[in-house]
Amino acid sequence: MSAESVPNPNGVALRVRHLSVRARDRAILTDISIDIPDKEVTAVIGPSGCGKTTFIRSLNRMTETTHGLTVQGSVLYRGQEEIYSPSVAPVLVRQRIGMVFQRPTVFPISVYENVAFGLRLEHQPEDRIEQEVEYSLVRAGVWEEVKKDLDRPALSLSGGQQQRICIARALAVRPRILLMDEPTASLDPVSTQRVEATLEELSREISIVMVTHSIAQAARASTRTAYFYQGRLIEEGPTEELFERPKQELTEEYVTGRFG
Amino acid sequence: MTAGAEGRGEQATTLTYASVSGRTRRRLVFDRLIPWLLPLAFVAVLFPLFDMIFWVAQKAVPTFTLATLTETQVGFGGGLYSMILGTLILIAIGTAIATGIGIAAGFYTAEYAPPAVASFGRLAGNILAGVPAIVLGYFGYYLLVLYTNWGFTTLAGGIVLGIFMVPYVYRTTDVALTGVPPTQREAALAMGARPRQYLLRIAFPIALPTILTGIFFAMALGLGEAAPIVYTAGWSSTPITGLMQPTSFLTGAIWLFYDLPPSEGTLLTLAFQAAFLLILIVLALNVIVQLLSDRYRRRLQGLFE
Ligand SMILES: Nc1ncnc2c1ncn2[C@@H]1O[C@H](COP(=O)(O)OP(=O)(O)OP(=O)(O)O)[C@@H](O)[C@H]1O
Ligand SMILES: [Mg+2]
Repeated sequence: MSAESVPNPNGVALRVRHLSVRARDRAILTDISIDIPDKEVTAVIGPSGCGKTTFIRSLNRMTETTHGLTVQGSVLYRGQEEIYSPSVAPVLVRQRIGMVFQRPTVFPISVYENVAFGLRLEHQPEDRIEQEVEYSLVRAGVWEEVKKDLDRPALSLSGGQQQRICIARALAVRPRILLMDEPTASLDPVSTQRVEATLEELSREISIVMVTHSIAQAARASTRTAYFYQGRLIEEGPTEELFERPKQELTEEYVTGRFG
Repeated sequence: MTAGAEGRGEQATTLTYASVSGRTRRRLVFDRLIPWLLPLAFVAVLFPLFDMIFWVAQKAVPTFTLATLTETQVGFGGGLYSMILGTLILIAIGTAIATGIGIAAGFYTAEYAPPAVASFGRLAGNILAGVPAIVLGYFGYYLLVLYTNWGFTTLAGGIVLGIFMVPYVYRTTDVALTGVPPTQREAALAMGARPRQYLLRIAFPIALPTILTGIFFAMALGLGEAAPIVYTAGWSSTPITGLMQPTSFLTGAIWLFYDLPPSEGTLLTLAFQAAFLLILIVLALNVIVQLLSDRYRRRLQGLFE
């Protein structure tokens, strides 16, 4: 697809500058600036309620689907295009910047139709849809398990399979960036491992931002980590560095498990 | 753990009904009675229903033949043909109107309307559902019979019946759509779906079993109404040939014929046959909606956990 062939000159998937999100009277996120690099897994960590979910939802304009949130600042797609510009279609933003949620959110239709959902929105021809469905299920690491059950209701699969169907569904429209909100929080260790392996594969081609509550998972599965605390970005950098030589005391307290 | 250690001496039991007294004991005993009292209430509801069906069937079945369905009532003879035809056409018009408006309004309040407008819409729906059918009848009479100069017409009857049915379709649509797990909406929008696409592709299929139940419920209620129609569709014993003519209908037969003096025996029988037929139709509707919504609901297993 076209999005894929456009070269990315600066290696930045998302350039976030002075991003603030408010809910009426109170600030949820304050003045966040960060570069999300291309083709890497960026982990977003921090204590509960610090704004991790709000942060990734503001990266593909999902914030505006809930009432009462106002967003300020700028988010530049591939370091160039302002996603909050009035001339930008949120629908296209969300196709390029996909999202996977904490709990599996398969639709009550077949496995095949779930993965085909985004392609049908684009009115793609059936033969292309068929190709993409298979390719996406392979990339999400769930093809072998469901290839005989494509017509089964997706809701009848296990939680771990459902979550990987959701990943496949997000991948089918070939996003450049995938935002994931605690994608393994409701999964068992084996499924978690599969999803992590999937992420590693995917990060060769696309950029991934993953919220996680598990410091161990951030250490295992990400190349960069951003630590949030009370709506602010405290520290951000290569995962190894952030865990071994944190610059901020707050970060050190959190990654060494002294609180949070 | 020993009772003795707490100074209760010989009192061997602390677990029986006898070991507690007063209010606690009365509560425990009452709890045990509930499984017996509830079935009584159940029977109290069902008994009159079955008694009524039996009473109607007793008067209607012995004389119920194919001719009852196919012949037109003439004088003191004939069957229910024109009334059946009238009822079917009236309910068809009513259902078309109620389904169209009700579902559209439900879509609007559930997805598009600002919260204040949505709660106003819901309030208006509840008020409309609470308006007595006879008031709707008068309203239709003034607006569709007198004001338009149509006179009594089947179309006016169908429209008023539709207005009567709208709030039920509207409310179930709204409830069913707002009851769709919000994660489904999130997921669809995050895929780049527009609200309309989310509604049609995801929310509507999920809400469909409930909406169907609402439509069939409205039909059952509409079938049983006489008041809104007598004032608008008038009455005509001959089978209708056009929507701008008056018509007869089953509930009208019950209402008009049941009050006649005992000498007019055949018409009284027709009233019972009309009632019997209505009961059968409503039962059939119930079975159909049950089967249909079960079929759709099976796909949704696991969604509402
Ligand atoms: N739509 C909203 N309106 C008002 N307040 C909100 C809204 N969304 C989030 N918040 C508030 O913003 C803060 C951050 O929420 P957010 O969900 O982003 O935290 P989080 O870091 O993802 O937490 P968790 O780790 O528990 O998922 C919370 O205090 C929350 O109550
Ligand atoms: Mg969260």
